[in-house]
Amino acid sequence: MACKRAARKPFRMSTRDLVLIALFAAITAAMGLMPPISVGFLPVPITLQTLGVMLAGLMLGPVRGGLALALLVLLVAIGLPVLAGGRGGFGVLLGPTGGFIVGWIVGAFVTGLVAQRTTRVGSWGARDLAFALLACLAGGVVAVYAIGIPWLAVVTGMDLVQAAAGSAVFLPGDAVKAIVAVLVARGVQRAYPMKLR
Amino acid sequence: MTLSLYVPGESPLHRLTPGPKLAGLATAGLALVLVDEPAILAGFAALALALLLLSRVPVSQLRGQLTTTAILVALVVAASVWLDGWREAAAAGLRVAALVLLGIVVTATTRVSDLLETLERLLAPLDRIGLVRSADVALAIALVLRFVPEILAESRAIREARAARGMRVGPVALVVPLVVRTLVNADAIAAAIEARGGPRSPAEASHGLQESRKKAVPHEHP
Repeated sequence: MACKRAARKPFRMSTRDLVLIALFAAITAAMGLMPPISVGFLPVPITLQTLGVMLAGLMLGPVRGGLALALLVLLVAIGLPVLAGGRGGFGVLLGPTGGFIVGWIVGAFVTGLVAQRTTRVGSWGARDLAFALLACLAGGVVAVYAIGIPWLAVVTGMDLVQAAAGSAVFLPGDAVKAIVAVLVARGVQRAYPMKLR
Repeated sequence: MTLSLYVPGESPLHRLTPGPKLAGLATAGLALVLVDEPAILAGFAALALALLLLSRVPVSQLRGQLTTTAILVALVVAASVWLDGWREAAAAGLRVAALVLLGIVVTATTRVSDLLETLERLLAPLDRIGLVRSADVALAIALVLRFVPEILAESRAIREARAARGMRVGPVALVVPLVVRTLVNADAIAAAIEARGGPRSPAEASHGLQESRKKAVPHEHP
């Protein structure tokens, strides 16, 4: 397929990239351990952990964002309590919601990929905000659910429609988090512009 | 934040190396999602329970995790009874219970450092073909462990600063300063790692530092 953009250089990781990957994994872990926060119109306080998934994609781009979440999943697997409410270990990964956690890796990657292809660095016009929001929804919601829902269905023996219906209760919270992620990314890039990769 | 979900002990499961435990967990996980027969699933759940008892991990240490598991199983069973009937509900509940309990047992009886060592061995072939560098993975894990408490402390400070001015802490007001501070830190940390010849520093990449070290040693200690 012909690509109009200049061929991108293959990803070469620098020390700073490695540090950013680790720090975004740490931010995402910390978001799960903070007390839940009340957001907008939602009746119940929510944890910000999935915000970290969208933010890693938006701020670091597909490769580094995906690696940041892969690192977090690795920490969960080796038994560190880095998920919301201090959960962790193989029990969570193998349980009914394990797919949503493993799906974060793909979620951050997709968010980063869509954002990288559609938004311009440092520009936050209405068009860029809309595309950034689209990126968060595509990665943080569509991609994560696309892995989480079949996993839930397999583990609990439900069919896909039932599993999807059960997961739908988290949609309002995730939609709000997508908006928050875009506002945070804009705020951060105004203070500290950086290039997506 | 407690450092890990490992519970020290002397049981046979604690003494077993991580390799067989992980292989067993993977096999059981695969079998559990392929099987639909409640009787067989009950066997797996009983096996998981037996292993939990064999691990002799005090229940008090696992109370939180076991409570969450019980709630999860209850939710799954309730949904499944409503949607599919009792037989499916029993299968679903037993499968979730067995999967989660087996996971809890492996995590509770295996040291983080042992799992990291196993991980390093698993990554070694990828390291050799240049796909992954295990030194990077080790450094990244160390950085996360170092910075999670730091970031939590900063988020507390931001909340308190807002509260002191009588403001509600919305998520944007909390996360923007947190991420900006983290990015500023990242530059300083990267510089510090490179100054010490860390895994990704230019000196190490060109092998200049290691070469000069090798040459320098005989002169320093004649």
